[in-house]
Amino acid sequence: MINLTINGKAVQAPEGATILEAARLADIYIPTLCYDEAVEVYGACGLCVVEAQGIPKLLRSCSAKVSEGMVINTESERVVQSRKIAMELLMSAHDGDCVAPCQLNCPARTDCQGYVGLIANGEYDAALKLIKNKISLPASIGRVCPHPCEKACRRQNVEEPINIAQLKAFAADMDLKADSYVPECKPATGKTVAVIGGGPAGLTAAFYLTIMGHSVTVYDMMDKMGGMLRYGIPQYRLPKEVLDKEIAIIEKTGVKFVNNVKLGKDFTIASLKKDHDAVIVAVGAWKSSSMRTPGEELEGVYGGIDFLRAVIQGNAPQIGEKVAICGGGNTAMDACRTAVRLGAKEVYVIYRRTRNEMPADKLEIDEAEEEGVTYKFLTNPLSFNGENGKLKSVTLQLMELGEPDASGRRRPVPIEGKTEEIALDSVILAIGQKLVAEDVAELTLNSRGNIEADPDFFTTGIDGVFAIGDATNKGASIAIEAIGEADRCARAVDAFLHGQALDTRVPYISKRDESTIDYSDREKKSRINPKVLPADVRNKNFEEVSLGFTEEEAKEEANRCLECGCREYYKCKLLKVAQRYDIHPERFAGEMPQKYTHDENAFIERNTAKCILCGLCVRSCREVMDIHAIGLLGRGFKTDISPAFSLPLDQTNCNNCGLCVQLCPTGSLTEKFALEKQVPLNEEYTEEFVDIDGKQASVMVSRYNGKVLRVIPNDEISRNSGLTREELFAKLS
Amino acid sequence: MRIVIGQGSCGIAAGAEKVRKALLAANINPADVSITGCIGMCYLEPIVDIYADDNSLTRLVKVSEQDAPAIAAFVQSGDVKEVEKLVVSKEDSEFLSKQTRIALRNCGVINPEQIDAYTAAGGYTALKKALCELTPEGVIDIIKTSGLAGRGGAGFPTWFKWNAARQSAGEEKYLICNADEGDPGAFMDRAVIESDPHNLIEGMLIGAYAIGAKHAVVYVRAEYPLAIKRLKNAIAQATEKGIIGENIFGSGFGCDFTIKAGAGAFVCGEETALIESLEGHRGMPRLKPPFPAQSGFWRKPSNINNVETFANVGWIINNGGEAFAAMGTEGSKGTKVFAVTGKVKRSGLVEIPMGKTLRDVIFDIGGGMKTDKPFKAVQMGGPSGGCIPADLIDTVIDYKALGATGAIMGSGGMVVMDESTCMVGMAKFFLDFTAKESCGKCIHCRIGTKRMLEMLERITKGEGKEGDIELLEELCYSIKDGALCGLGQTAPNPVLTTIKYFRDEYEAHIKDKKCPAGECSDLITYKIIADKCRGCTLCARNCPVNAISGTVKNPHVINTEKCIKCGKCYSSCRFDAIVKE
Repeated sequence: MINLTINGKAVQAPEGATILEAARLADIYIPTLCYDEAVEVYGACGLCVVEAQGIPKLLRSCSAKVSEGMVINTESERVVQSRKIAMELLMSAHDGDCVAPCQLNCPARTDCQGYVGLIANGEYDAALKLIKNKISLPASIGRVCPHPCEKACRRQNVEEPINIAQLKAFAADMDLKADSYVPECKPATGKTVAVIGGGPAGLTAAFYLTIMGHSVTVYDMMDKMGGMLRYGIPQYRLPKEVLDKEIAIIEKTGVKFVNNVKLGKDFTIASLKKDHDAVIVAVGAWKSSSMRTPGEELEGVYGGIDFLRAVIQGNAPQIGEKVAICGGGNTAMDACRTAVRLGAKEVYVIYRRTRNEMPADKLEIDEAEEEGVTYKFLTNPLSFNGENGKLKSVTLQLMELGEPDASGRRRPVPIEGKTEEIALDSVILAIGQKLVAEDVAELTLNSRGNIEADPDFFTTGIDGVFAIGDATNKGASIAIEAIGEADRCARAVDAFLHGQALDTRVPYISKRDESTIDYSDREKKSRINPKVLPADVRNKNFEEVSLGFTEEEAKEEANRCLECGCREYYKCKLLKVAQRYDIHPERFAGEMPQKYTHDENAFIERNTAKCILCGLCVRSCREVMDIHAIGLLGRGFKTDISPAFSLPLDQTNCNNCGLCVQLCPTGSLTEKFALEKQVPLNEEYTEEFVDIDGKQASVMVSRYNGKVLRVIPNDEISRNSGLTREELFAKLS
Repeated sequence: MRIVIGQGSCGIAAGAEKVRKALLAANINPADVSITGCIGMCYLEPIVDIYADDNSLTRLVKVSEQDAPAIAAFVQSGDVKEVEKLVVSKEDSEFLSKQTRIALRNCGVINPEQIDAYTAAGGYTALKKALCELTPEGVIDIIKTSGLAGRGGAGFPTWFKWNAARQSAGEEKYLICNADEGDPGAFMDRAVIESDPHNLIEGMLIGAYAIGAKHAVVYVRAEYPLAIKRLKNAIAQATEKGIIGENIFGSGFGCDFTIKAGAGAFVCGEETALIESLEGHRGMPRLKPPFPAQSGFWRKPSNINNVETFANVGWIINNGGEAFAAMGTEGSKGTKVFAVTGKVKRSGLVEIPMGKTLRDVIFDIGGGMKTDKPFKAVQMGGPSGGCIPADLIDTVIDYKALGATGAIMGSGGMVVMDESTCMVGMAKFFLDFTAKESCGKCIHCRIGTKRMLEMLERITKGEGKEGDIELLEELCYSIKDGALCGLGQTAPNPVLTTIKYFRDEYEAHIKDKKCPAGECSDLITYKIIADKCRGCTLCARNCPVNAISGTVKNPHVINTEKCIKCGKCYSSCRFDAIVKE
């Protein structure tokens, strides 16, 4: 045996062993991408480099042999720099999406492609479970979310984005019908957490922390949980029965609810801290913003969220027949459509830009118009005019669009001397909402008047107190933003409870250059929207407008998905190594070596744009199988992997042994799932044995949610059996 | 009288074969006409050497077919007046007389196609001495004493490699000659094989004897057809004489000899890639260790040396290691051949003892600059080397001293540049070469050189940005550290040395969007100074895109939108009326 030191640890290795083998024996990790025991060492990736005392060059540990007394450092600054640059270079030439753009654009990083794909395959319960990894209230969120996912959906480059939000609502509704899924909780940790505020942020944080084994209590000032989902969103958009059912599931996991208690009155952050190991402040933004327009104090002028809450609580104010709503966001839409339903005859939406600039969801804008709302675009209230303290009219300044502003939208500018007056009974100001600062006097506020919390660690100035949601940093945003923060905060708090600090920043992810994607071969297929109640029926009541997807509609819509994300995301070795180093491949952005290609046979798909030229496929095909179906082509930057004679794979002598797929460290060579719609899933692999001609043969079986997805030959017998995948599937017990 | 025509590839390209035919047609006795290889003065080709019966030499240069009658007359009469204008000048003849030729000792002197010419010059006596009088260890000892180091670029002690291969266990061993000379601007190996192939064979057979190899292989560029032809011819002649084969000189030692033409890749000059290529695989380097001395060609112990290295061996055996070691410096012994090209007055092959300075080569032997522009820098060692600026012109030719500048001795390529060369553009040129020649195996070289090239392209287009120099440097050091083989590890050298010595030029491109040398076409504009323009219309007539307008005797104007910046107007103007800005 040879004695050496690796990272200060005394290690023994047999004579002739490589440094890499010695490190592995000692459980010391050295990254590799082109190395595998099955084939001869190659030395292409250079990630396995280590520094040896007294040797000026970095050594490739896959080939350098151990020697007596060697002193090795596998993580020195020079080694890390070499690996980092290697990964930056590699990723600068790797044209692939790890995950789909929908997922990346979701503030909660919900695996949209995953559940859409599962729905397409009819795997509704698996879809729901996947959603619940990130969203605690999917039936509610599916209904109300302005779906940033759909804004990123690439299907819109063919015709229209996938109806992702409604598909989520569909899967969640299926689950609410019977035997709802309640996640299993980890063993109790004995730690307790107090959450202030039972809105989407607070409930989500409570849900995930409970699943992690902590004891969580949610304190809320209202008589029921749900926060703005309950008190800010009208019944016709989110029936409270749906919300109730979802909150009940959260309660079933073991979260304790305490209602009708108010921060600053019934308890303080300090008092909660005494009884709990951590406190999360998720109090939301419950004050309507002012427009600073003269006349706002008049009777008949209401704040948007105040108005909506009053209606929901059954205390709808007398708004009269002529109502104007100021604002262009979703709260303005909720307010105007609610006003219609309360019986107002003339409902105006006053918005200083045009329809195209409205931040509200397009569907909402259209549906409101169908219900009888009149838009007053390019107008801005100059004054609310009253008589005896009661609102009588509004004077509007007429506007036109000028140069684009910082947000890229064209700035509205007043047209000198042009005004208009409209007679009104009431006006609703839906231009924003704010934190009630007095409630959180114990915490530090920022210049915007919101709680200052670290955007990645969610810590506040007080140890053990975290803050999330509408009350923090930039202020009020959409529910899914709060849910995303809550999910990440839950992990940060869990780490804190284990005595650690967790940076919840999302690690490096590879993305394709959108400008290079070609959609010309895609068949056009229109987006499916769920059926809705007719406008003249729904504008008279608070029944839910959307009727939701039928199973057929959901499957058809889900099948439109372009499958952007990489099937090998969960087991991609390349990504795992990339995420170990703080890499910025954009520093080396340049030409991509290979175009996106697609070649497939019955089981294997090939895309050289993702290839990192580790050569494992070529070498294993040659050295292990002696088949030579693929080889290296071209030189330098343009080097490519190609089937023999540049033929499509299915015209070569490839016998589908699958060894190249097994060894491929990224998604360049992949094996299809036994699913109709291909979808990236976090499969579980087990080695199993099947009988082939009376011999025991090893196969790797991947399963997801109990279903077999792939069977890959795993030894000489199975690789050379000549059996198709269907025949191998049939052999599984 | 003997008439000898220099017929290396270079001479033939300049018209030497036409000259030979013209001479034969001009009534000169064919028996008096013979050929030799490369005489070494590229800029004077074709060269005809005329030896009088007393063996005194009249060297005629830049000879053309039309000169045949005059030469015939000279041969007839012996009156040098007939060819006066062709006779080499005193300065030009110093180009050779100031050299010390060991590796090139027979080049341009003997007929490379006749083994007798080689033996008449003392050829194969060293082989006989080695085989019949020395033990293999004795040969290695002499080489050790000589201090001979690998002339291909790395400069590794030859005796050490031979000894390692000798010590390696195994009956079957290979001696391989690397004749895959790929550095742009280097051609000394070609010259040796074309001009003195037996010298290579002799050196290799001595090496084979020293390491105990029964097989010798020459891996030679397929782009060297004449070298391959002459080497094949030489092998056939040597085989016929029993110099190649079994029991050479009755010594009991035997060795066969084969040639393998390369597949046209620069990286195949890297020894492990060369072995892969020899075995019929894609030319990609192997991991070291194991080194070829332990596991090389067909996984057998193998030793690989460069042509120039072998070309010294016969001389060393005959003259003794001490004689060789008497030349040079403490750490670099013997002579080195340089291929001097570029903006230098006299270009060609220069063999001089180590320890001379760059000034000796470029100014004393090379005659200084071809143009009136001052010397700016010299690129040493081709794409793997680096540039050495004018103020380091007195650097001594020595592995260590050259290495200290950031450049390398390399295989001996020397590209001389004057002030009109943009150093960023120069680095880009060599990077373009290495990026194209990267085999594609390791990340650092495959993608790293490409990214460096892209950055240099941006900089020379005026699209460079703050931080680019630092990023280039970071990438350079990382590639040097991480690349698998010598090609990648040395690829950053041209960039690093130009940044080191000409950082201000990089900054001018990046910050001021200016190319100080006026070479980067995206960063310059041509303008006609109206006061100086005489309206001769020459520039307008020379402009390939009709971007210049004006009438006779009136100042002309360049339409900068149409101008493609080819510089034809600039070089055609006789009144210095056109300026580059």
